[in-house]
Amino acid sequence: MFCEKAIELIRELQRASDGQLPAFNEDGIRQVLEEMKALYEQNQTDVNEAKSEGRSDLIPTIKFRHCCLLRNQRCIAAYLYDRLLRIRSLRWEYGSVLPTSIRFHMCAEELEWFNQYKKSLATYMRSLGGDEGLDITQDMQPPKSLYIEVRCLKDYGEFEIDDGTTILLKKNSQHFLPRWKCEQLIRQGVLEHVMS
Amino acid sequence: MFVSDIRKEFYDVIVNQRVALLVSADVDALCACKILQALFHCDHVQYTLVPVTGWQVLETAFLEHKEQFRYFVLINCGANIDLLETLQPDEDSVFFICDTHRPIDVVNVYNDTQIKLLIKQDDDLGIPSYDDIFRDDEEEGEDGDDSGNESEGGSEPSGKRRRFDEGAVERRIERRREKRDWEARRREILFDYEQYEYHGTSSALVMFELAWVMSKDSKDMLWWSIVGLTDQWVQDKITHMKYVTDVGTLQRHVSRHNHRNEDEENSLSIDCMRISFEYDLHLALYQHWSLYESICNSCYTSSHFKLWSIHGQKKLQEFLADMGLPLKQVRQKFNSMDLSIKDNLREVIEESSNKYGMKDIRIQTFSVHFGFKNKFLASDVVHAAAALLENIEKDESGTDNFIKALDSLSRSNLEKLHHGIKLAKKKLISVQQTIASCICTNQILSQGPFLYCYLMEGTPDVKLFSKPMSLSILSKYLLKAFVRSTKNKRCRLLPLIMAAPMDVEKGTVIVLGIPPEAESSDKKNFFGRAFEKAAESTSSRTLHDHFDTSIIELKTEDRSKFLDALITLLS
Repeated sequence: MFCEKAIELIRELQRASDGQLPAFNEDGIRQVLEEMKALYEQNQTDVNEAKSEGRSDLIPTIKFRHCCLLRNQRCIAAYLYDRLLRIRSLRWEYGSVLPTSIRFHMCAEELEWFNQYKKSLATYMRSLGGDEGLDITQDMQPPKSLYIEVRCLKDYGEFEIDDGTTILLKKNSQHFLPRWKCEQLIRQGVLEHVMS
Repeated sequence: MFVSDIRKEFYDVIVNQRVALLVSADVDALCACKILQALFHCDHVQYTLVPVTGWQVLETAFLEHKEQFRYFVLINCGANIDLLETLQPDEDSVFFICDTHRPIDVVNVYNDTQIKLLIKQDDDLGIPSYDDIFRDDEEEGEDGDDSGNESEGGSEPSGKRRRFDEGAVERRIERRREKRDWEARRREILFDYEQYEYHGTSSALVMFELAWVMSKDSKDMLWWSIVGLTDQWVQDKITHMKYVTDVGTLQRHVSRHNHRNEDEENSLSIDCMRISFEYDLHLALYQHWSLYESICNSCYTSSHFKLWSIHGQKKLQEFLADMGLPLKQVRQKFNSMDLSIKDNLREVIEESSNKYGMKDIRIQTFSVHFGFKNKFLASDVVHAAAALLENIEKDESGTDNFIKALDSLSRSNLEKLHHGIKLAKKKLISVQQTIASCICTNQILSQGPFLYCYLMEGTPDVKLFSKPMSLSILSKYLLKAFVRSTKNKRCRLLPLIMAAPMDVEKGTVIVLGIPPEAESSDKKNFFGRAFEKAAESTSSRTLHDHFDTSIIELKTEDRSKFLDALITLLS
């Protein structure tokens, strides 16, 4: 049946829960594009035949193939767009350097798009807040306090904070540190926010 | 040096600095740590909390953090040894020590710059005066003068020279004799001072008073200081008099905080925390267990009834019948007992206990109440936190257990507290079973100057007793039970040494000693020094790693010669 490959792609995205980015399905896209090419060529010959020989009984087939083509196009567009939205949210979650495991899942064009997005976000942030710019990717939820208590979940080693002093992050030690320094490490899973 | 104004000399100094908190692994230290953490959160003091379980861990933690921190706060560790010599810190490191271990090492007391003791000086400390133990060396100067005189005297006629010689030599002999006397006296004074190990005011109480002085105290902090004090009492570290005095102090704070509750119009919501003074039963965890189980597994009742014997069991049944409590009710969970029974329970039990010779069945303590379901006595929380600290279930490291126990003290972590209560119940049951088997099989032997009991490797739950706090609870309860069961009058006055396998792979045992059981015991323990001397004289391989010097780790092979040395030392 036509358009099944395209639906496979959509289902793949739906299965990946909660904004995770599965690997870019090169194969699937290629197959869908091939299918579209085959349909288009068939349609071309049929249209030429219908025009030259006046065979109007080919018209429903032509219409059907055209609908399949439109459907495939819509599915692929949806697939690519949804991936782009997920990649955009990665910038907000991971910061400007993505872990390599996620980078493997993106194709070259998506990486290119990500870099462009990073650049435009950075330009925007620099234009806010006077001379220094404003980092709007921090403090996604309104912070309740300047300092938070964090507990170290694994041995991380030395960690430098703003005034130059270093802290040794050892497993099961607890620290009371400025919120903005800890956010990165909390996202990476090295520290855990302790609420009492 | 002792800190006289804890706010100015401690808190105001560190409030703008980064501090390293090194906290020992016992419940009193956990409570003091929680109070200090809450104060630090108020004032945004950046700190790092590192749990320490022994001297070696303390040294490692210090080495790791000494580059980054100038100020160290030690809770329940560090007062009883020469800290500067052990840690070799830089000139500008400052240590604030809040410790209950006594006697405080004299170097720590007399060092003015680097060591500040957050300890109240009205505890009976008995510190020797400075001149008795430290003395500036002036002898070389005087000797030099004498030899100078000699050489001058050399140019004069021989008669005078001889006189000068004799005078100088006499002076030198006199001075040397004085020095020897002084040193002998010094040794004696230090020996007397350091011989007995005991405990002072709870660190949690000291921290609470700091919070109170700064008007930053809250009900949570008050509750933590109550738990810290109760821990000292449950572990039998302080005398009854001291406990009652400190309870009085805390009771004043409790009434101060409860002042708001009395106003009828603005009564507090049910979710707010209420602390109340109670004159409650001396039964462990009885509100979270059934009354019967609690009576069977609490030290006080089980040793009085002698529940390891059949005769004792019968007495217990009589006792219950005397109070008119049906067995079915008493074996149910406490919360499901009939209200009519629960109403007068304490008075009824007190009356019957007096008949059976248990005069102290009721003790002064505090309870906390928040929400509809949550009511805890201070001793419940102590048992739960101690069980979590020494949890052997999942084979986790000491620091994991420390973190879990620390969390369980917050009100928002009730599941951890309940888990702790479950573990505490198991621990109490194993303690009673071990006591019963030890007494029935006569495993407690009198070695002359002390009693000795060794837990064999095949004993059930012996892994639980490889931890110092559990072993010390076991030995204290065992001694109480033994004193009541033995017919030998002399044995009742002896202290007890308890040994249990600690690490089967490394082949070590944990040995601890406790003072004799007496009504008016001052809880002073001489085993710390005794163990050191015995280990030295037999060159046994021991590890004195624990902050309490009366608990050591010993190689199994050296056990017998170590004991022999102790017997000769103490008889």
